[in-house]
Amino acid sequence: MKTYRERASREIRLERPSATVTPIMRKLVGDSQAMLSRGPADARQRASAARAYAIDNLEDLHVQLRGRFERRGIGYHRCATAEDAVAMVRSLLGDARRVAKSKTMVGEEIGLTHALRKDGIDVLETDIGEYIVDIEGRGPSHITAPALHLNRARIREMLARTGADLPDDDPTRLSRHVRDVVGDFFQDCDAGITGANAVVASSGRITIVENEGNVSLGVSHPKLHIVLTGIEKVVADEAGALAILEVLAPSATAQPLTSFSHFLADPLPGQQRHVVFVDNGRSRALRDPRYREVLKCVRCGACMNSCPVYRVAGGLSYGSPYMGPIGAVLAPLLWPDGRYADLPFASSLCGRCTEVCPVGIPLHRMLLDLRADAVKGHHAADLKERTAWKLWALSFGGATRARAATAFTRVGLRSFGRTLRPPGPHRDDPRLLPDPSIDHDPELLLKASARRSIIPESAITEALPASLPERFAHRARQLGVDVVDACVPREGDRLVRATAAIASTGSVLLTGDQAARRPLLAAGRVVVMVDPATVVAFPHGLAAHLGGGDALILTGASRTADVEKIIVRGIHGAEEMVVVLG
Amino acid sequence: MAPMARVALFDPCYMSALRPQDAGFARHVLEALGDQVTMIDGRCCGQPAFNSGFRNEAHSVGRELLKAARPHQTVVVPSGSCTSMVRHYLPTLFEGRRASGAAAIAGRFADFASYVAGHPALQDVVFKLDGVVTYHDSCHARRELHASGAALQLLGRVEGLEVRPLLYEDECCGFGGTFAAKQPELSVAMMTAKLDDIALTGARVVVSADYSCLSHIESGARGIGVQLQGWTLAELLSRALS
Repeated sequence: MKTYRERASREIRLERPSATVTPIMRKLVGDSQAMLSRGPADARQRASAARAYAIDNLEDLHVQLRGRFERRGIGYHRCATAEDAVAMVRSLLGDARRVAKSKTMVGEEIGLTHALRKDGIDVLETDIGEYIVDIEGRGPSHITAPALHLNRARIREMLARTGADLPDDDPTRLSRHVRDVVGDFFQDCDAGITGANAVVASSGRITIVENEGNVSLGVSHPKLHIVLTGIEKVVADEAGALAILEVLAPSATAQPLTSFSHFLADPLPGQQRHVVFVDNGRSRALRDPRYREVLKCVRCGACMNSCPVYRVAGGLSYGSPYMGPIGAVLAPLLWPDGRYADLPFASSLCGRCTEVCPVGIPLHRMLLDLRADAVKGHHAADLKERTAWKLWALSFGGATRARAATAFTRVGLRSFGRTLRPPGPHRDDPRLLPDPSIDHDPELLLKASARRSIIPESAITEALPASLPERFAHRARQLGVDVVDACVPREGDRLVRATAAIASTGSVLLTGDQAARRPLLAAGRVVVMVDPATVVAFPHGLAAHLGGGDALILTGASRTADVEKIIVRGIHGAEEMVVVLG
Repeated sequence: MAPMARVALFDPCYMSALRPQDAGFARHVLEALGDQVTMIDGRCCGQPAFNSGFRNEAHSVGRELLKAARPHQTVVVPSGSCTSMVRHYLPTLFEGRRASGAAAIAGRFADFASYVAGHPALQDVVFKLDGVVTYHDSCHARRELHASGAALQLLGRVEGLEVRPLLYEDECCGFGGTFAAKQPELSVAMMTAKLDDIALTGARVVVSADYSCLSHIESGARGIGVQLQGWTLAELLSRALS
């Protein structure tokens, strides 16, 4: 399909994404706001400042990072174009045949899976949502919830195409079926490819967040781990990375933090780790003062969650790897050849994206600038439209002419507005042209019927315990974690000692050996010992506790919400988690 | 009584074409507050061209509005979206010293709701109108001007009026200027969701700071056959005066 409008009308007519997407997003956006309000009041400013610092000092940070990677034995690679990046990954893979891939938007951007498969490499999408949309073959419809456009019945149909004979479409059953396929694949695979949410210049650690545990498997099981990310993802220090985490999961999925937040340090013994930084137009965007701030994006998806156009037409209508408002801004910047020049017009400019963006990107203003660019570069507006605007400018160039034009319109609408539908090929458009002669009837004020919508009562303010350890216990229990004073060990337990814990999110921090992913994922139950003296108020308080090596923040058990945003706990890794506080 | 203020009232181009009665309503309210009103008409803020990416055209048209506004200290606009265009975007179309000159004039523009809500004579005026309305918070008044509070405060002053809130008051109605014509499928789908939300309140009159949203909502309602009218805040307050 050629234009955005054609794709969007097709989606609306045939797929009706709104029926699935709108109710989910209405709830999610409200929950996100509630979750953000639990965090520190200045979380958004802090995250925005961390990202602004990163893009203002990008080259210096890359120099520093490169040195840190050398010391850790992590490969540093920087690729100017999508083709270079694919070739780089291809050469790093060497003779690897079975590759487990986690969700990475940069992977979608450079068409990695497709390119590797063309070379005969067996690539498995290990994120449950990505696995499902990979079968469908139309790509992800959301950056954090790839299969959002499919309801459970459709997902069951997709899985049946791979030979899965599932007795019903229960979200737990569907999710666990994919989990088992992915788990088997990891038993014997040569390489894991993941994305990254931040790469810390001062320490050379890689921050990745995930819920399912497939990233945990990917970074710890195969002998080769390749990270694929954009050049802009570098941040100065751990405080910066934590500032991003503080807004990322609340904005994306209304979680306090994702189940796993990795801070990967040295490769494991016998393991190779490489990071491939992709430019692909980012440096160009960075040089343009109107658009450079788009590189602050943390890919949370809050802009699409709240976008009315996204809700109505769905993510696939954008026809680009990035969808929603961020996609409408990013796609024409990364591919300036005009193929995405009509995406900035896919917005009513309601400004909600800008309002919810946790790092303060003025998205709707960028859409306006991109529209002007598209017109200037002759990527949008045909001769008819150009002539129309010239005539319009002529008629409003003087008051007399403008009054005449206005009167002409008014008279025209008076005669025909009542019966005429707006011009255009849209047959289902119910709108009549406005009629200026209709007088309003004050009697209608008195003709109201009973209210049928129930206005939800404002949420009762939660009474939070006063002390940090009690608050931590309260939040951990909300995540389904059992918080106890003492615990009788069981066979299959993985017993670990936390370095610190977070009161606002109910999370625990594991560092060094305690963060080893293999035993954590293999355990039947994870038992974490937490010293009450180590509980900090908010995630950013962990900066002093992260140490210099491997670290992992656990926030409840592994989970997925890839089927209709319904939470299923216990994907890769134990469903049961116990915290011994004391 | 507060001293009499001289204000200009800008009748936006689309309103004088689609809803010519409205300038009279706004004027009525301002005069009831003791203002001496001068009209500015036959001008456009340039927004339709600006939003479509035609900046030169927006500039040449918007310049005429600023010229007309130059002698006035306050320009009241009964449309949130035009006010936002003038205040936030129009000055960016000028370069160098002209930009600061444009910004100085643009800064004198105020949306009707904020101006009236902050008027010193407001406490001397009684608004009374029996009935039920719902309130549509237009995106530009809400997010670019932060004028929702002012509009709701004014509605709250009208004795006898019940204002039933929408369930999804922060959702766009789907108008978006040229968007309504360029992306009719999206625009109609968004409008339908808004009509559903309005219908659930039971109100037959929807009030907003922007007639642009209202004309879109009204034209959809009439096409579908729903009995619904869109009143600007100015119309409601004017009728509540008499």
